[in-house]
Formats: sequence, C-alpha cells, structure tokens
Amino acid sequence: MVSVELGALSRFTDGVPEQVTLSGRDLVVVRRGDAVYVLRNRCPHQGALLSEGHLTGFVPACRPGEQIAIERAGEIIVCPWHGWEFDVRTGRSLCDPENTRVRAYAAHVVDGCVVVDID
Amino acid sequence: MNSAVSDGASPFSLIDADVHNYPDSIADLVPFLSARWQAYAEQSGLQLPGVSLYPKVFAAAARRDAWPPGGGKPGSDPNFAAVQLLDEWSIDRAILNPLVAASGVHNIELGNALARAVNEWTAAHWLDADPRWRGSIAVNVRDPEGAAAEIRHWARDPRFVQVLLLARSYAPYGKRAFRPLLRAAAECDLPVGIHFGGGGDVPITACGWPSYYIEDHTTMTQAFETHVVSLVCEGVFCELSALRVVLIEGGFAWLPGLIWRLDKNWRGLRSEVPWLVKPPSEYIRAHFRSTTQPMEEPDNPQHLVQIIDMIGCEDFLMFATDYPHWDFDAPNRTLPSALPDAMRRGILSTHAESFYGLS
Repeated sequence: MVSVELGALSRFTDGVPEQVTLSGRDLVVVRRGDAVYVLRNRCPHQGALLSEGHLTGFVPACRPGEQIAIERAGEIIVCPWHGWEFDVRTGRSLCDPENTRVRAYAAHVVDGCVVVDID
Repeated sequence: MNSAVSDGASPFSLIDADVHNYPDSIADLVPFLSARWQAYAEQSGLQLPGVSLYPKVFAAAARRDAWPPGGGKPGSDPNFAAVQLLDEWSIDRAILNPLVAASGVHNIELGNALARAVNEWTAAHWLDADPRWRGSIAVNVRDPEGAAAEIRHWARDPRFVQVLLLARSYAPYGKRAFRPLLRAAAECDLPVGIHFGGGGDVPITACGWPSYYIEDHTTMTQAFETHVVSLVCEGVFCELSALRVVLIEGGFAWLPGLIWRLDKNWRGLRSEVPWLVKPPSEYIRAHFRSTTQPMEEPDNPQHLVQIIDMIGCEDFLMFATDYPHWDFDAPNRTLPSALPDAMRRGILSTHAESFYGLS
C-alpha cells in the first residue's frame, strides 16, 4: 500500500466527477466539500467511464404513495450510460450492493492535498 | 474494442442495426420542405413532432456523454456520432433510424411533407457524410398510399435499406388499411423495421396508462407482440410472400412464449384464419428478424443462449447499440460469453449483412 498525492483539493470541483490516471489506473475522483472519494473509473456493467456520469443523492426505500426523499446529496455517482447508481463512499451498487461494486480507494485530504492509498 | 470474430469471408466484422439521427430542430428540416410548408412552419412556429409521454429520467433519453461538444442534441451531429460510435467500436455499417414522428401529426399532407423532409435530411446530412451510414425511410403511416409512394421514391437510393415504422401505432400493422405500405416495401425488397416508440393515439398498454417511465419502457413488448400476431393472423405473408419484418429495440426473450401460445391456439382456432396453411411459428421464423438491444440480461447468461435456441431460427438476431440512447448496448460487453463463436459472428455482422444486403 502506498499513498499517492493527486494534487491540491482546490483543483477538484465540488460535485463534478473527475478522471485521474495514476500509474496506469483509471480513477474517478469525487469531491464533496472537504471530503474526497476515489473509485475505479469503470462501471462494472458495460464499462462506461463513471467520470462521464453525474452525482446525485440517495433515494431511500419508502412505501408507495409516501413522500419520496433524497438524502446524502452528491454521494451517489450515476453511470452515464444505463444509470446504474454507486455509493461513492463504498463503490457498492445501490441495487445489488453485495455482488456489484466499483473498487473504492481510501482517500484523504492532508494539508490541503488529496492523497489516495493504492496497492 | 471490437469483439467480433472475423472469418475472412465477410468484409464486415461489426454492423450496428439501430442508431438514431435527430434533426436538432425543425430548422434542420425546413430547407427540405416545399415553399408552402416552409411558410406554414414559419407562421405556425412548428416544432418537431414527437411523443414524450413520460419524462425519460435521462435528458433526451440519451447517454450522458453523447451530447455533442459543439452543441446540439445527442444524435444531431454526424461527425461526432461517427467518432463516438463508429470509430470507437470499429463499426463497419450502421443503420440510422430517425425518430421524427411524421405519423404523429393528424394533417396528412403535413405528415407526408415531414417524412419526405426527414429522408432528404438523412440523405444530405448523414449518408453523404460517411459511407458507413445506411438509412431507413421515414413514412407517414396515417397515409399508407402516400407511404407507399415515399418508399418507392427512396428505393432507388441503395443507401436506404429499410422502411421505418414505430411500434405504438393507432392500429395493428396487419390491418388491411396498411397493406399498400407493406406491399410497396415487399415489392422494393426493403424490410420493414418496427421500432420501439410512438404512441399518442391510444393508451400505451392494453390496460391503460401506467404511471412510470420504467413501465412505459418495459411494456413496449406488448406493442411488438401485437404487430407480430397481427401480421401473421391477417395473412399478410400469404399475400406478400417476399415481405420481411425486423423488430427493432423490442428485445427478443418474449418471443418463444408468444410463438408457442400462437401455435397452440392455431391448432384449435385455425378455421377462423384459414389462410394460415402452416403453424404461425413458420411464418414468424420465415419473415421476422430482431435486433438485440435492449439485450435481456438474465442472472445466468446461459439462459439467453437457450432462449435464442428456443426461437428456432439461426439468423434471427442482429446486433444493435441504440446509440445515443441511455440504454445503449456496448458491442464488446453485451453478448454473453457463453455464445458459440459462429453465433456471435452471425449476430455481430453476417446476419445483418445478408438481411440488409449490405455492401
């Protein structure tokens, strides 16, 4: 495990997924305020670039006719092709969290710099 | 990124049987309207006709990365589409299906003028731009005689390889009123493509209006089933033995059950449709083909191979992406790995090459 700097936090736009290539790895970086999340930049379904997708919130389960809520704004990344949703914190699919996931890398902000842990 | 297997015998390794080209606005079609309809369009503020019954969840029902960087709607820029689709996947030929609802207007003459303009625009802006594109002839189904004339007009241009109809019509296409349109297609040796979409005249399901786009999208198979059964039972293929029909964007996993049900009913109800001198399944296998997208994705991919086997027609399926729509199927990630190589090659290229007579 090595920690690699991706650059200053300020170079990443809040709420806009960004593609970063690191030692042959294609990553997508998601900034949410002062927090940063890093995922592998490929949807496991048909291989679309998640960095071309968009960020939205989590719509929790409810009963028919109940008020539909949306929470955790900006923490769900949506594939640009088929709309598969993934939690940026874990990389897990919202529909099939046990079996379908995008690899998530631990990321931190250290002294204003984004650092990601990779193998 | 092309996953096709070349056999050396065909010049093609990948054919895309369903791509969408869109005018960005009515302004793109105005140059192809007569002076009368140009004046009408200007005076009335005419918009592109279309039916959008439910918000599509994805803007323009498109892949989010398909908006041309130079502006305009997804599918409106031939050069960007060539790069993002044809070049990216090494596609040799791609069949364009312009989803401008010329049949969606009730003014027969205007509908005919719009269909002609769409075809002129496809020829001038797409077919002339890149030799890999092939066109579909837009027609106004509210005027089957006019549609027949439109088919015969464009049949002279070999770049147009099929006639385009929409699945959600105001009546099943086997009805006799549509026969002039179908006869023209058969006589011109052009297949009739029935494509996902349409609507506006009648509820979109047999039981009325659902609430959600997911229902709209999923139940589209009802319309396809209706046309398959209608075209067979009305005796269209008894009259037009050369007619070929391709189901586009309807999926195909529902077909085996329909075939079995129709054959079973024919055994008991044959006297009602005595022109059917053989089981309906034989007409279906002889006259129908289908594109793959939206490919059904069972948990066990082997089940898909079994379903293809159940349809019982070797060359039934032709690969399609549906670019630029959100339910796009990627050429290298869609077909199950369990598919035998020969079947894969057929689906990706040779079935469409033969069916459409591509060169």
